[in-house]
Amino acid sequence: MNDYALPEEYGLADLLCCAAAREVQDNEVVFAGTGLPMVAIMLAQETHAPNLKLIFEAGTLDGRPPEIPTSVGDARCEMGASRASGLYDAFSIAQRGCVDLGFLGGAEVDVYGNVNTTVIGDYLNPELRLTGSGGNPDINSFARRTVFIMVHEKRRFVENVSYITSPGWLVKQWPGGDFVHRRELYGSAYRGGPSAVISTAGVFRFDEASGRMYLDTCHPGKTPTEIKEMCQFDLDISRVQGDTAPPTRAELRLIHEVLDPDEIFIPKVKKG
Amino acid sequence: MATSKRITLQQAAEIIKDGSSLTFSGFTIWRRPFAVVYELIRQRRKGLHLIEVNGGPQTEFLVGAGCVDIWESCWVGHELYGKYGANLSRKVGNKEMIVEDYSHAEMMFRFAAGAAGAPYAVTQTSLGTDIHNPDYDMLGKAGKRDGNRIPQHKYVFTEDPFYGAGSQVLVPAAKVDIAVMCVQQVGEEGTVRVNGQYYSDPEAARAADITIVMAEEIVPEEYLRRNADQNTIPSFEVDYILECPFGAHPTGMFGRHDVDGAFLKDFYGRTRTQDGFDDFAREWIHGHDHMSYLEKLGWSRMLGLKANTALNYSPRTGKGGK
Repeated sequence: MNDYALPEEYGLADLLCCAAAREVQDNEVVFAGTGLPMVAIMLAQETHAPNLKLIFEAGTLDGRPPEIPTSVGDARCEMGASRASGLYDAFSIAQRGCVDLGFLGGAEVDVYGNVNTTVIGDYLNPELRLTGSGGNPDINSFARRTVFIMVHEKRRFVENVSYITSPGWLVKQWPGGDFVHRRELYGSAYRGGPSAVISTAGVFRFDEASGRMYLDTCHPGKTPTEIKEMCQFDLDISRVQGDTAPPTRAELRLIHEVLDPDEIFIPKVKKG
Repeated sequence: MATSKRITLQQAAEIIKDGSSLTFSGFTIWRRPFAVVYELIRQRRKGLHLIEVNGGPQTEFLVGAGCVDIWESCWVGHELYGKYGANLSRKVGNKEMIVEDYSHAEMMFRFAAGAAGAPYAVTQTSLGTDIHNPDYDMLGKAGKRDGNRIPQHKYVFTEDPFYGAGSQVLVPAAKVDIAVMCVQQVGEEGTVRVNGQYYSDPEAARAADITIVMAEEIVPEEYLRRNADQNTIPSFEVDYILECPFGAHPTGMFGRHDVDGAFLKDFYGRTRTQDGFDDFAREWIHGHDHMSYLEKLGWSRMLGLKANTALNYSPRTGKGGK
């Protein structure tokens, strides 16, 4: 079974996709956003998690799309679904506590897993206005676990994000804005929080008590010290478990021949 | 049967006045009432207040054309075909418009409250985020919170008084003048049948004071009433109807046609600057009507987008917008 691909046989997007797929457990209810996470979830469905239930934010419940949708509003989402409805259903189900895992993205993340998808620079005098929250904070508030997939650059792994779009482990208590553990704020709605950040450099996890991020595995070719240098905060590298497992050849075949043959989200590695 | 609800595209746009608050059917790049959006731009509407569960290309076109003063929502972009709303970003940077940020679920629940006639909704989402930062109440800062159509507060925190579940956030009902819907079928009396995901359409139609439905086709009311369980919006919640095939283009419509990704990519690439937007609008909007717009797109492009009736999407479309 361990037919791990060699470094020249896969790209970074393949590695991220497979690492993301491995976060999914069978029988879980998974909330999907657009893009690479959708491929990862469908990969998990095709491999170790055939009974996962997929919810698309736009309102498709237990979807089994035969080909990859381009967005969660896509007509492709509905094929084989248990029910096609709307956002009120999708968010009510999430708030009700039915969602185990959500995949999300972000422009910036801080040491507590707070994520910014709203603005670069001062909110009141923005350098660049981004897409805004979408369902990022909602899924992150309601799901038991969330996994963030991000490009790793030093400017994106910051001490404090410019704007907390999506709540991490230590969040702001209003009106003062002091940081408190999310457990204190969410009361009986507290179910968990960010469980992993999968960046283009490694896989990071969080200490639930302190709420701080630590390095779990390094992507092949990266060292803990290099990755620590790629963060503006003081990254804990004392708990590293080694390298991120590479994709298997079977996973690569599924990604490129079955799930995303048109390379919409995951480019193929050019041979030679 | 009562007075006909049929109107023209021009009349639909004329119902929306300078300063109206407005919402739309659809989700990001799906089922947006583009033919009406283009007509609003041609008629040079000003001062619109958009309240959207989520934004998309329709937001970007109206914002780029200078029609919008206030946008309350959570997201704008073109999904795979353009990663953020460049026009909105430019106008916010220049302080030419007000943006009020909520989360996606908050916006949905605001519309559900509006649709139910309740003054607010209660939720536990987004606690601890800057969405609830009191310094970022932009309508409050601008002195716009009159407690009439714009709520007195952006949100209010409270504790659960019933079960002791802890912090709750109250978000105000969305009060909207006009909802413009884009759907597959509407009957002569206004009954709407949406195929595929209905997104937040039922709540949007019910929350608005006036609902205009632009449909791919107007069908005999009796046909829809044969299977009332398949209908989405009841007749009396719809005030005006119009038929406008491909009125959603460049956004997609379940069962009818796919998203025109290449068109959105082109728009996103060309409209980073105001000059770029104005140039795009001269090419595709001004001096056109819906028919000449479709003629400019051409048969081969439209047939490539046409959905397969068994699959409900187009297996021919280059999904990457290539």
